[in-house]
Amino acid sequence: MTLLLLLVVSGCTGPVRSSGVYESKAANTARKTASAVATAELAVQAATHDRTFGRTAAQTLAETARDAGDVQGIFDSIQPPDRRSDQLRSQLDDLLQPAVSTLEDLRTAARRGDVESMARIAAPLEKLAGELQDFDEAHR
Amino acid sequence: MKNLVQVALGVLTAIGGFVDIGDIVASTATGARFGLALAWVLVVGTTGIMIFAEMAGRVAAISGRPVFDLVRERLGAGMGLANLLASFFITLLTLAAEIGGVALAIELATSVNYLLWVPLVGIVVWVVVWRLPFETMDNTFGLIGLALVVFLFAIWRLHPDWAGLAHSALHPTVPQGEGHPTYWYFAIALLGSAMSPYEVFFFSSGAVEQRWTRRDLIINRTNVLIGFPLGGLLALALMCTAAIVLQPQGVDPSHLSQAALPVSLAFGKLGLALALIGIFACTFGAALETCLSCGYTVAQYFGWQWGKFVKPAQAPRFHVVVLLSILAGTLLVLTTIDPIQLTEYSIVLAAAALPLTYLPVLLVANDRDYMGDKVNSGASNLLATVYLLLLLVVSVATIPLLVVTKAGG
Repeated sequence: MTLLLLLVVSGCTGPVRSSGVYESKAANTARKTASAVATAELAVQAATHDRTFGRTAAQTLAETARDAGDVQGIFDSIQPPDRRSDQLRSQLDDLLQPAVSTLEDLRTAARRGDVESMARIAAPLEKLAGELQDFDEAHR
Repeated sequence: MKNLVQVALGVLTAIGGFVDIGDIVASTATGARFGLALAWVLVVGTTGIMIFAEMAGRVAAISGRPVFDLVRERLGAGMGLANLLASFFITLLTLAAEIGGVALAIELATSVNYLLWVPLVGIVVWVVVWRLPFETMDNTFGLIGLALVVFLFAIWRLHPDWAGLAHSALHPTVPQGEGHPTYWYFAIALLGSAMSPYEVFFFSSGAVEQRWTRRDLIINRTNVLIGFPLGGLLALALMCTAAIVLQPQGVDPSHLSQAALPVSLAFGKLGLALALIGIFACTFGAALETCLSCGYTVAQYFGWQWGKFVKPAQAPRFHVVVLLSILAGTLLVLTTIDPIQLTEYSIVLAAAALPLTYLPVLLVANDRDYMGDKVNSGASNLLATVYLLLLLVVSVATIPLLVVTKAGG
């Protein structure tokens, strides 16, 4: 019974019938992606300053890439209920795509131990994190 | 001199053994989302566990029996069973979370998927419980867990805004963007992590394992009055480092790696190594404590021979329960359930079950048949009663807050 309750409150994505609920889910998606992006920034900072182990950095960056990919996948599986939501989805996807792609590239670089490339790949992350946080605040 | 060493060792292991995966997850998450606005809960939780652990240790030292050995005798089979069912389920969930936590710590050091480590961790936990004497086991992981002190030093190294931190802790407000229900949900999670039921089962049964007598009451007091607050300080350090590094960046932690990031940035590889060793030791130590607690609660309820102070052949059913608990915890983590989410649920559900754990402690500690002249003082009873009322409110509010906030989401 308790486990059932936990499943109900934790993971399920139900159908969205109003633009308000969709907007709230979009904001939540932006916030979670911003968190993954910000974590990656910190991990890259530690890696490029030789303040972490290669394996730990690789693990942290793999987690951020997986988190961002999962969040994007869940959001994209929700059908927008109206035209306004279509616009919102398009607007957020413009932020999610580069974020997920950059985090994937960072994961690959970290696995290869290519620390020099990591700083270059991570360059757009600060701006992306800011834009995702702005999106979250605007639509929360 | 021997006594002094024993007292110091007890205090040190109490500090290192205080923190577990629940404290790491809850303190880091609250620090990252609320700064130090929930630091007061750590103070409330640590004070609460001190009050009840002191009683539980005193009961064990005076009566020679752990509290829950007396619950059924004192409160009847029905109350005892309700207590057993709630506490065993929560402790089993916590055990699974600790096994997952150990595997995650190894994953961070090796970058090999934690699921591959889980069966190995389960086996090693069982081997340690089976082979190592109680005191060796307790002291070893408690002392290694002291490596978490690195989080405390990291605060200085990160050059925080001290005035801002103090203001956040002393004038707690709900940060912009967070709702009041979420604030209170995290407060409950933090309280559940600080007052985990298994800590009292283990402390009380451990006192009997170590054959405490009336003369050991001083060890009980020093462990509780010095070791526990210093252990709570480690949890506060985790919260502070998260508040300093993760909160300004908008990081909402969902992995163990995020808890270690501030130390990594502060001290580099050496600091990170210490943090990983500390996390490993405290989660492994807690896995030992929780699996033993599963055995203690069941064996004590049914009146079976229990404990590591007798040979395994003399307490077969106790060891079977311990083994099956480790197996169940391992299998639960192997379902691929996220160990961090499992930890979050275990501490929140622990909070809901707290009155069931702590009411019997208070009742037994006031029974002159068991305690003689060492029953609770009036002040102790007043404090404990206030806490029980608080825990009752927490217990009622937990599930609605879990649903309303979608588990703090």
